[in-house]
Amino acid sequence: MYRIRFHGRGGQGMKTASRILGTAFFGSGFEVQDAPLYGAERRGAPIFAYVRAARRPIHERGVIDRPDLVVVADDTLVPIPTAGVMAGLGERSVLLVATGEEPAVWRDRLQLQGPILTLPIAAEERAELRFVGASCAAAAARLIGVISWADLERATQQELAPLGETVVVENLRRGRAAWDAFAPHEGLVVEGAEAASQVDERPDWIELPFEAARISAPDIHVAATSTEVRTGLWRTIRPVIDYDRCHRCTWVCSTLCPDSAIAVDTEGAPRIDLDHCKGCMICVAVCPTHAIETIPEGEAKHAESEEARP
Amino acid sequence: MSESHYRHMKDLPSTHLLGAGTAMCAGCGGLQAVHEVYDVLGEKTVFVNAAGCMTLLSVYPFTPFRGSWLYTSMASAPAGAQGVRDALDLLVAKGRLPANDDLQVVVLTGDGAAYGMGLSSTSGAIDRGLDFIYLCYDNEGYANTGQQSSPATPHAAHTATDSGVLGHPGFKKDLFGIWVANRPAYAATVIGTEPLDLARKIERAKDMRGPRLILALAPCPSGWGFDPGEMAEIGRLAVRSGVWPLKEYDDGRVVHTEIRRPRVPVEEYLVRQERFRHLFEPERNDAELSAIQARIDAYWECVD
Repeated sequence: MYRIRFHGRGGQGMKTASRILGTAFFGSGFEVQDAPLYGAERRGAPIFAYVRAARRPIHERGVIDRPDLVVVADDTLVPIPTAGVMAGLGERSVLLVATGEEPAVWRDRLQLQGPILTLPIAAEERAELRFVGASCAAAAARLIGVISWADLERATQQELAPLGETVVVENLRRGRAAWDAFAPHEGLVVEGAEAASQVDERPDWIELPFEAARISAPDIHVAATSTEVRTGLWRTIRPVIDYDRCHRCTWVCSTLCPDSAIAVDTEGAPRIDLDHCKGCMICVAVCPTHAIETIPEGEAKHAESEEARP
Repeated sequence: MSESHYRHMKDLPSTHLLGAGTAMCAGCGGLQAVHEVYDVLGEKTVFVNAAGCMTLLSVYPFTPFRGSWLYTSMASAPAGAQGVRDALDLLVAKGRLPANDDLQVVVLTGDGAAYGMGLSSTSGAIDRGLDFIYLCYDNEGYANTGQQSSPATPHAAHTATDSGVLGHPGFKKDLFGIWVANRPAYAATVIGTEPLDLARKIERAKDMRGPRLILALAPCPSGWGFDPGEMAEIGRLAVRSGVWPLKEYDDGRVVHTEIRRPRVPVEEYLVRQERFRHLFEPERNDAELSAIQARIDAYWECVD
């Protein structure tokens, strides 16, 4: 059985990528499961979708914990523990990362036992990964090596048809490019063993005895605990205020920011809370003096780390 | 009528009560309205939340609020509010809660619950004269589950359940009108992108007693199909085109708080949203576009 997980951010088409791959598997005569994670699937938030495919009926259920292939559409998700990108990667698992960096950088960084491949993403496309889903699905299909281009093309057309011909054509063009690019690695993904209930390992968990609700879920008496959640991790682009151009009319940006992420400091200047700013860029659009710029998050992070160097 | 504290944009609060870090989408028009409303209502507010997008505001142990939050099923938030209001009244009557620590009870609901399955319990609460604010963030569909149609979905909009060439066959229900017909203490339409108008209305509603409706149009990047950064512009166009009339009902009369002349053609609002793209591509649907414009014009003819 093949087990594939697609990781991305809400809006990057991971659900669609898993649909395309699942449909292509099905067209090639496989039994297929494909499902997106159901939860807080918000635009920008880490999400995943997964596909199981086998030549026999699939009895396994639930989230894939031992993937044969993990595809990551957004490399900023890798260091986020809650995104779970690295979960269950074994020595034969293939990791495919859409990134602007070289495979060697990722191999060095992650020190995984299994192979790491990269899907190159041009710097100017990083903030706007509209077509990455089709590329990811095509790359995955080639790496698996049991799906023909004709089946993949048909699946892409079928899944994207409601979006119109232009979208289908562009996605097929990108999908084909990824398909061709990964030809040297065709069949790299090895089918994982069927899990049998007898060999199911006991999960590594800690037994918690039953407790009364007031102990296990105590009342919270602290205000606004949500600030402990770093939604700034959702951001792919960053607003940066040019304080020379800012007129201190903070009632505009600070009021219209949906996330209460723009505060006013004692000097009357707006300060963006980057721990929580989701990068919606409403402040950029409403600033009367156009004092807020948009910078790709990767670039901003890079500049920060350069500055931090002695 | 007393003079408002909010005479200019610069009178709006510069510190915000609602905590950051919620799971709402980037560019959420509903969250924008809720954070503006909360700033005016203040900390002494308890929210009773009908299931919907805002279910995810408070995920234990994280909450953006500074006080209590109660979660109910979609149809029963007003009943939840009744229980909370009664409990507060009893506590005050027994002297266990000082009267100046009493809380404002606010139902927070999406349009799926407000326009549809929650109407019955809302009607009952209004009939009983329940002292509460009913805040609806109207994103014109079941946005939390992928924008299926709701009774608040506008005519011709594409949704997950109306994906054909004609879009949604129904017409947006007039929830404001339904409330007015029930003779509540107060009712108003607002939008987060017009924060001054919103603040004045919440300020008025805050000091009243009885059932009070605050109906906020909530432009939804994910459900309506636009870039999150365009949310403020879409909201402004909703008002400037006359699609979303800003009005209030008080003392038996409906007054429009903003009358635009001339209005922006509705096309300028529609064309920026993916859910109306089929009205422009592959061929322009002139008949439908002029029918939509004509309905808006007919509404405002009765106002002018």
